[in-house]
Amino acid sequence: MVSTELPPLARAESVLELADFDEVVRLYRPRIFRFLMASLADRDVAESLTQDCFLKAYNARHQFRGESSLGTWLTRIALNLVRDHLRSRRMRFWQRTRDTALDIVDISDWLPDGASSPEAICLQQERVKEIWQSVEKLSRQQRTVFILRFVEELELSEIAETTGMNTSTVKSHLYRALRIVRERATGNSGGEK
Amino acid sequence: MNTRRNQSPEDSLEPRGDFATTLRDFRSAVHHVAERETSKPAPSGWLISARHRQRIAQRRLVLAWTCAALLCVSLLPILHHAKLVTSQPVAVVQNVANDAEDTALLEQVDNAVSESVPSSLAPLATLDSWSSTTSTNESVTESSLNKPEKKNVAR
Repeated sequence: MVSTELPPLARAESVLELADFDEVVRLYRPRIFRFLMASLADRDVAESLTQDCFLKAYNARHQFRGESSLGTWLTRIALNLVRDHLRSRRMRFWQRTRDTALDIVDISDWLPDGASSPEAICLQQERVKEIWQSVEKLSRQQRTVFILRFVEELELSEIAETTGMNTSTVKSHLYRALRIVRERATGNSGGEK
Repeated sequence: MNTRRNQSPEDSLEPRGDFATTLRDFRSAVHHVAERETSKPAPSGWLISARHRQRIAQRRLVLAWTCAALLCVSLLPILHHAKLVTSQPVAVVQNVANDAEDTALLEQVDNAVSESVPSSLAPLATLDSWSSTTSTNESVTESSLNKPEKKNVAR
């Protein structure tokens, strides 16, 4: 697994880091792609928006002052791209078919080893599928907070910094998102165990 | 139930038990798919297609704004014409109303004019004759007045 996390950088170092843009792309591309893919559930759109994200970052590299980490800055750009994309998709409501939409089976197919029996693996896959379906039905903000917390494993303060919300708003979105996902996931599988 | 009531909000943001395990599996699955998709290094011209797409999007935006502006400009005369057409019936209605008023007024005037002259207005005729007699009398008096002058002149 390629680590996308850089050690904490000083402001000057962070700006210097941006100078070597190929290295930035190499380090952060998986993280940005993962966030976009989880947000939009569409492989091709995620790839296009990842490119757009790095292009925007490259064009605006002189505006980056190192006030936040590079990862936070790039995620914020990706977040804006997701918002714009969802808005334009809502405008183009007649283009509902998503040929490149990520197959949920594709996602839930792969699971870490550790399940003891085929039944257990099957149950595990079913639960992941339900989580994925529930995440897709969350509101944009709830989904963003949920993904940043449970896929990107960011702290609440980092999520607040990335999304521009205050921490209490992040908590409230996360609380609601968790409740919805838990209810749907446990509701479909016949109750929480 | 009691344990749920005693849970602090911070605790409720940290899933536990099977749900936490499922979330961990979900994270692993998403990470795996993303890694598989980005396992190949980005080609050298990776951002060129994004730049090309961005330019196309910009051109489309400019084109859309231009079309919108042209549409507005072309709609202006039509709207103006439509406004005129809608305002004309009002004028016609107003004209019809004015005509009716005029007709009524004319009828009223006709009626007033065509009424028979009351007898009290009869002296008008004598007044005419009176004015004609006065004019002759005046000429007579004038001639009689001029006479002595003539006499004086003759003297």
